[in-house]
Formats: sequence, C-alpha cells, structure tokens
Amino acid sequence: MENEQNNPLKEFAPQLERTTMQGYTWILFLLLVIGVGFYAFLQQVLHGHEVTGMRDNVVWGVYIVNFIFFMGVSYAGALISGTLHLFKTPWRKPVIRMAEFITVISLLIGPCFILLCIGRLDRLPYLVLFGRIQSPITWDVIAISTDIFGCFIFLYLAVLRDLALLRDYELLKLPKWRKKLYKALALGYTGTPEQQQRLNRATDIMAAMVISIAIIVYSVLAWIFSVTLQPGWHSTIFGPYFVIAAVYSGSAVLIICMWVFRKVYHLEAYITKKHFVAVGIIMLVLAAFFGYFTFSDYLTKWYGSEKNDELLIQLLFKKFYWPFIISNYVGVLLPLIVVGLARFRTINNITFTAVVVVVALWLNRYIIVVPTLESPYLPIQDARPEWLNYTATWVEWSLTATGVAVFCLLFTLASKFITIIPVSGVTGEEKKEDVLI
Amino acid sequence: MKRIFAFALLLSLMSVLVLKPAGSYAGEKPDTTATPVESRMQLAYLCGADSVILTATLNLKKEDGTVNLKNAFIEFSASNGESAKSLGKFATDQEGNAICKAPVAGLPADKDGMINYTAKFTGNKKYPAAEASFKAKPARIRLSFSIQDSLRILKVDVTQKNLKGETAPIAKEKILVYIPRIFSLLKIGEITLDDAGSGTLEFPKEIVGDTLGNLTVLAKIEENDNFGNVQGQNVINWGVHKQYYKAEVPSRELWTPIAPLWMIITLIIMLAGVWAHYMYAVYELIMIKRLSKREKPPLF
Amino acid sequence: MEEETNKNQKNTRRQFLKKGLIAGAGVAVGGSLIAAYVDATATETGEKVKVLTTDGEIMEVDKGLLKLPRVSREESHQGLPGRKFVMVIDLGKCKNARKCVEACQKGHHLPKSQEFMKVYLLQDSEKTSPYWFPKPCFHCDNPLCVSVCPVGATYKRSDGIVLIDNERCIGCKFCMTGCPYSTRVFAWKHYEEFEQDKEPYSPEAGSPGKEGTVSKCDFCPDLIRVGKVPYCVSACPMGVIYFGDVDEDTVTNGTETFQFSKLISDRAGYRYLEVLGTRPCVYYLPPVERQFEVDRGFGDLDEKIKERYKDTPYSKKHNP
Ligand code: SF4
Ligand code: SF4
Repeated sequence: MENEQNNPLKEFAPQLERTTMQGYTWILFLLLVIGVGFYAFLQQVLHGHEVTGMRDNVVWGVYIVNFIFFMGVSYAGALISGTLHLFKTPWRKPVIRMAEFITVISLLIGPCFILLCIGRLDRLPYLVLFGRIQSPITWDVIAISTDIFGCFIFLYLAVLRDLALLRDYELLKLPKWRKKLYKALALGYTGTPEQQQRLNRATDIMAAMVISIAIIVYSVLAWIFSVTLQPGWHSTIFGPYFVIAAVYSGSAVLIICMWVFRKVYHLEAYITKKHFVAVGIIMLVLAAFFGYFTFSDYLTKWYGSEKNDELLIQLLFKKFYWPFIISNYVGVLLPLIVVGLARFRTINNITFTAVVVVVALWLNRYIIVVPTLESPYLPIQDARPEWLNYTATWVEWSLTATGVAVFCLLFTLASKFITIIPVSGVTGEEKKEDVLI
Repeated sequence: MKRIFAFALLLSLMSVLVLKPAGSYAGEKPDTTATPVESRMQLAYLCGADSVILTATLNLKKEDGTVNLKNAFIEFSASNGESAKSLGKFATDQEGNAICKAPVAGLPADKDGMINYTAKFTGNKKYPAAEASFKAKPARIRLSFSIQDSLRILKVDVTQKNLKGETAPIAKEKILVYIPRIFSLLKIGEITLDDAGSGTLEFPKEIVGDTLGNLTVLAKIEENDNFGNVQGQNVINWGVHKQYYKAEVPSRELWTPIAPLWMIITLIIMLAGVWAHYMYAVYELIMIKRLSKREKPPLF
Repeated sequence: MEEETNKNQKNTRRQFLKKGLIAGAGVAVGGSLIAAYVDATATETGEKVKVLTTDGEIMEVDKGLLKLPRVSREESHQGLPGRKFVMVIDLGKCKNARKCVEACQKGHHLPKSQEFMKVYLLQDSEKTSPYWFPKPCFHCDNPLCVSVCPVGATYKRSDGIVLIDNERCIGCKFCMTGCPYSTRVFAWKHYEEFEQDKEPYSPEAGSPGKEGTVSKCDFCPDLIRVGKVPYCVSACPMGVIYFGDVDEDTVTNGTETFQFSKLISDRAGYRYLEVLGTRPCVYYLPPVERQFEVDRGFGDLDEKIKERYKDTPYSKKHNP
C-alpha cells in the first residue's frame, strides 16, 4: 500500500520486532524468579501446607492478600479502561491499552493465589460439581469466571483494529506464524463503516459490562470476608471499600506501567506529563475516597469499641503499627500531597507515589486479613505457642514474587505481541490529535 | 455409682484405639504365649417379671491389659446346694458377654429361697477356666397407675415366693423409679415399701414421653443382699408429648442444602443479563467476520 | 487368702449388680459392638494389632479387632431419626484435667497436633473471676461454617450434628473463618495417624482426617449410634460434661442423669456468645459453687501445656 511509509506502525514496529539484550536478561531474570516459585510450589505440594506460615488460627495469609491484591488491580484496570472508553476521555489513547492489559493479566494471576491457598487442589472440580449457591466462594467462582470472559472479550474488541493494522502492515519483520496469527485474529476487519459501527457498539456494551461486573465481582470478594462474623471483617462497608481500594491500587499500577514502558520503549512523545497528571488525579480522588472509607470503617469500630473491635484496634496499633501507618496514613496522604500540590507534580514524583500506594494497598489487605484472624472471639489459647502468630515463610514470599514476575513477564510478552499504545487511531478512524493530544 | 459406671465404660471403651495397622510391628512382636494369661469372669444378675437374666463377662487379663474373649462357651446353671439345674450354654460376644435368660419357675431354691447361679467357662488349651457365681432370691415388681384427686399416682407392689410357694410381700425395701433414655436412666423418684410390700409415688409432671406421651417406667430394687437386682416395668401415657426441636427463627437458614429462592433468582437474572451481553458482543464479532467475507471479493 | 477373695467377690458383685442393672434395662446396650477381643475358638492367626486401652497403655491383641460399625457417606448425612443432641458443660466443676482432650484425641485417632476439644482459661473482665472453659464444637443450629462451605462438605444433620466429609472438603478453610468459635482444625500436612484406618471412609467415624482438609469435634456420632456418650463425656473424671437428647429432655454425664430443662433453669444455663445468633447446641452452666480453685487447673499440667496459658490475663497477673 502506498501509505506504508506513513503508517504509524512504523514507529512502533521495532518494539514488536526486536528484543534487546536487556530485554532477554529481563525475561531470563523473571523466569528465574518463576523457577524458584515453582520449586516452592513443589515443596508445598509435597510437604503440605505446613511449609507455609498459616496455622489453625491464621488460616489465610499472604496468598489471600495477593489474591485480593491482584484481583483488585485487575478490576481497577477494567474500571479505568471501561470508564475512559465510555466517556471518550480525550487523553485516554496512550494509556488505555495498558489498563486493558493490566486487567486481563492480573485477572489470570489472582485466582492462582486462591488455588495456592486451597488444601486439596485435586478436588477443584467439586466447586462446580457440588457448588452451593449460598456460599460466597461459589459467588466468587461464578463472578470471576464471568469476569475473565468479559475482560477477554473487551480486550479483544479493543485490540481488533490494531490486529488488522498489524496484519496489513507488510513491512513488519516478523516470523510467518506471527503474521498468520494476526491474520486469523483480525477476523477480516477492514474498517468498513458497518464493521466499525458494529465494533463500536460491541465495545461500548462490553465497556459497560466490564465496569459493572468489576464492581460486582470485587464486592463479592469483599463479602467473603464481611459475611463472616469475625471482628474487623463483619462490616457493611466492605463492598464499596474494597472496590475503591481496588481501583486505587489499579490506578497506581497503571502509573507504574506508564513509567516503565515510557522508559523502555521510549514513548516520551506519547506518554507525557499530562497523562501522568491525569491518571495521578484519578489516583488522588481515589486516595481521598479510600481514606474516607478507611476512616469511617475504623472510626465506627473504635468509637463503639465492642470488646473484640477494641482488641483488634489494639493489635493494629501495636503489632501491626508500621503496616497500619504506611497503608492508612502514608498511603492516603502521600498522593494528596504529591499530586494535590502542583509543584510536586513531576513524572518521577507521581510514579514514586504510585509505588508507595501499591505497597500501602498490599499492606492494607494484609492488615485486613491477618490481624482479624489473630484476634478471634475466643482468645487464642490452648494452642501451640508456635501456632499463635502468623509469619509468612519463604515459600509464600517466593510464590508472591512469582506472581509479580508472571505479571511482568506476561506484560512484557503482551507488549511484544501488540503495541502498548493503540495505533489504530491514526489510520483515519479517529483523529490523530486524539492519540497525541 | 461413678465407679461402677466408670467400670462399665472402661469395658466398653476398652481397646478401641488402634495405633498401628497389623504387621507394622513385625520386628518387635513379643511372643504372646510367654505372657501369663488369666481368665476373669464376672456375673451380673437381673430379675425381671418372670425370668432372670444372667450376664457373664469373660475377659483375659494379660500382663499388659485386658482383652475380651469372644466365642467362649459359658455354661450357666442354678442350684440350691444339693441339686443343680443347667440353664444352657451361651457363647460370648466381642465384649466377652454371654447372656442367659431363664424362667424363674422351676429353679431349685434352698431353704431360704435363695438360688445360686453359676457361670462357668471350662477353659481350653490357650485360656484357663473361670467361674463366677451369684446368690439371690427371685422377686417381682408390679407397677400400676391411677389418678387420685387429680394427682397421678404410681403404685408398686413387690412380692416374692415364700417357702410354701405362695406369694408374699417384700417389706421395707427401697425402690428406685426410672425412665429409660437414650444413654441412661432418668431417675424420677424413690419409694420405700410398706409392710404390705407396696408404695406410691406422685408421678412428676413434665417428663417427656414419645410423641403420644407414652412413657416406659422402670421400678427397681438395686444391689439388694437378698434379691440382687429386680426390675419391673410398665407403660403409661403420662408423659408430655414429645415436640421435635425447632431451632428458633428458622426462616433464613442458609445452611440447608438448597439456597433461598431469591438468591437463585437473583443469580440467574444477573448471569443471564451479563452473558446475554457477552453473546451480543460475540455476535457482533461474528458479523464483522461475515461482513469481511462478503466484502472481500470486490477487493480482488 | 480366702478373705481376700471374698472381698474381691463382693466388690465385683456390687459392680456387676449395677452393670446388670444397666444392661437389663435395655438402654445402655452399647458395648457389645465395640471392643478389642480375642476369639476363643478361632486359631490365632499370629497377626497382632497394637491397641490402646483406655488407661493409655499399649498392648497387643490378635488381629480380631473390630471397630464401631460404619455407615456409608450417604447414610452419614441422615441424622439419627427423631433425635436432637445437646451438650451441657458445668463450668463449676472443670479443673482442666484435660481428660476430655486426651480421650477425644485417642478416640478420633488424631495426630498430636490436632485437638478437637480445647480448654480455655477465660476471664470475662478484670474484676470477674477466671474459669476453665472446655470448648467442643457447638453444633450450631445456624452454623455459619455450613452456610459458607462452597461444596457442601460440611453439613448439618436432622439430629443437629454438624459433620465434615473429608472426602468432599476442598480445603478452602472458609468454614474456619466462618466459625466464630475457632472450632475447626486443618490438616496442614499428611499425618501418619491418618493411615491407621483401613475401613471405608465415613464422615461419622470422625477419623481419619485427610491432608488438606478440615476436621472438628463431631459429637462422636459413631458412639451415639450404638447408644454411647461421646468420648469426652465418659472421660471426664469430674463429670463436667453432660450429653443427651434435647427432645427427650434428658442429659447424662455417665453417672448422673438430669432433666435437661430443669438443669438449665435451676442452674441458669446459657449459651456462649448468644449474641452472634449461631444458636449453639452446647449449653454452659455458670462457674458457680466451684469445686476447685482455678489454680488447680495448672496442677499436674505438662510444662508445654502450661506454656499455652501464659498469655492469659490470669497467668499474667499471678505469675508475672
Ligand atoms: S461451633 Fe463453629 S464449627 Fe461448630 S457448628 Fe458452630 S460454627 Fe460450625
Ligand atoms: S474447608 Fe472444606 S469444609 Fe470448610 S468450607 Fe472449605 S470445603 Fe467446606
């Protein structure tokens, strides 16, 4: 085709075509981490869950924390990409693909952590065979599987135009099979008005679906905790609280991704400070909401001070002092200050804040899960001393690291398969300014 | 009472706990024949309406504990010191119990009316012989019920056979009244007999019977030097009708096998809604594919 | 010598009079179905089985060992018809003798690190008096553990007993967080004890557990089925624990038998944390008219077990 030279893909093609030495080292490193994780997993399979730090009191540990965390990141991706799409936010183009990737990739990792926590993996089919509708876990199984389908469809709809472009770009130096794959995946989309119309309609519907499912699914996840009677979990606010916390963590992860890909693929021209500030402001708003929810949750517990709530709060301020401070003070205040005050708003500052927020939110989940289990209604007594407190073992940490590594690996691979920034916008379907602002 | 129960439980709970499957200790298996074995027999006696129940329990005492002996034949007999009457041979069960039920009539009694019951295990190559005996006089307890001045009265009449074979009352003995329950006997009162061998008890209210209010009532003489254990029983519908327990507030049970209807409906509606939209999106994709096929020919 | 035999005879006579009394009533017929025994007629196979007596001694018997009859997994879902079991625990009499814990552990073939019965040293507030608090599963009438189980591995039967099917349980541990009374235990690894049992699995047998699944106090449905009270009830030397059928309005600790309703109203029985709405089937009699000082509970405890109570407010105050 005559305009091949002007094809926007030309600029992005190298990231698909070549992998640098650094890139290979990075992938090798990730594989190494995953390898160690696999060894840890093997230990757990061979020796039972005894290799973890979980015991009869703290029956859920870091695995569940990771589960909530990754699911949260995923829903956030869905919510952000869905919202950006639905509201046709002008600056969305460079970041929306990342948000979509975040959604799908973390959605694949999250449930793996719940599997790690389950004692009898061999009986997993029972969840379907003998599922009881009354159990929030069944709700979760249904909701997550529905969500996975939805997010995949949404992602597919979103990348279809790019797939068609990739298929049509003949200068692309890629192996045959890749081209064939693009061809098959592009479904013969050529951008006729009717095709466009249908695609837009489907995407809009799926965006709306993905948003609503994300909310439902994350609420269901929160209900796993709040339907129990445990002090600290039995809270009506948990549904919305979890949703907000999830989106919050997702916006932070998005910022980190933006920063990384901007550096790695030299996208400075596309992802600008404007984008960081825009997502940063989303993060700021969410930080405020998150702070508000956290505050009202703990305020009511502290003010009424039921005996067990009091014990829990004591525990939080003693044993879990630092995690508590980092997650509920630093994690809330830092974005407010850094993004809120114009003079701190630099790309690096915002990214640093995002990292802190991610850590804070992980810790937030930790202090939701563990301290409650350490302060049940009946005081923990008449149990082996070594069983009293929870400390995650190397197996759990290593598998956590594996989760992160798999996330990075899949992200890396995905960015090798499809451009990390949607390029279809430049082909005339949408105005160029939209992409480049 | 406690000790006796403890003993009964000891027997019953004895040795249920296997530590290791057979064979695992092959190497360290001691020679059991080397440990001295002692057979022990105990005889329990209960006199019912017109028969006696003899329960002989046979177990082996080894150096390291007690084991019941199963399938050992126990010979029961009754005698008056001069003549003996065989009551038959019964095999022991896993608990080591052999139970013999014999009609009271025709058992040889001595001049005081006492009958000497004997249970005997003759022994075999491996297990030594053992024997136990018990002396008691047959007696009989009758229970009758009446309502007097709107009070419910349980009356017991206790008799024995005197030397001439006539029925005579048993005076001044203590009678215990029970209701049998699933695990034990619930005591509802005590009666001391008068000279005429009878006594009454105001039947307590609020004793739960079956769904029709029927109650089995037992009256017993226990551990009496002359009579041993004697028991009489009767049935009366003075019980409170049994109400099957209903947990309070049964309306929102989530633990039942079937979920509440609203939950199922909500779930179905939500799933149907969501998946219908998915289907629609997939349908659009299929249409996109179709369109491309239709439109392709003109391109070439 | 003769005198001695006489004395012995008298003793046994007394005991067996009572025994006859029980068996004769046709009530506590149990026993005939559960025991280690040797067959007098069978030739010894030579195969030996190690057996624990109730005194905790190990001995060997010929491999004629028989256990309680087992019902199938399906049958175990049905409760005993027309029954509704209830337990009453008299806190005034408990001195942490821990016989219930031990008997339960032995009866259920539990590994050393699993205990179904736990004894807490509770003190409701600073000025109130501490007391020992044995805690089995409460077999709640609104059991959250059952509600939250995703696969129906834990279920409640018509006789009120909440059981776990270790062949169904997927080990999600949701029930453990669902139970507000910290009742359930998880098999964190494979224990040797799980292998002892060669018979077909039945949830009623309560054992063996399986790696990666949950177990808990089961009210010993296998014993109940043959008319016996649970292990903890018969093991307690103080007779602290009563057990019975609430529809029959009777509970017994093996020696004494009471009318349940009367016992509860006379002694102001209550259920623990009633406020949670779980509706337990275990009632407590308040710790009044104590038979023992709380300290007695530490009496002959193993150092290791004493250690477990070192963080209780009571221990902190008395042995700082
Ligand atoms: S005490 Fe706990 S485990 Fe037992 S029935 Fe109640 S909720 Fe379930
Ligand atoms: S751990 Fe087992 S019994 Fe408990 S909720 Fe999960 S599947 Fe049910």
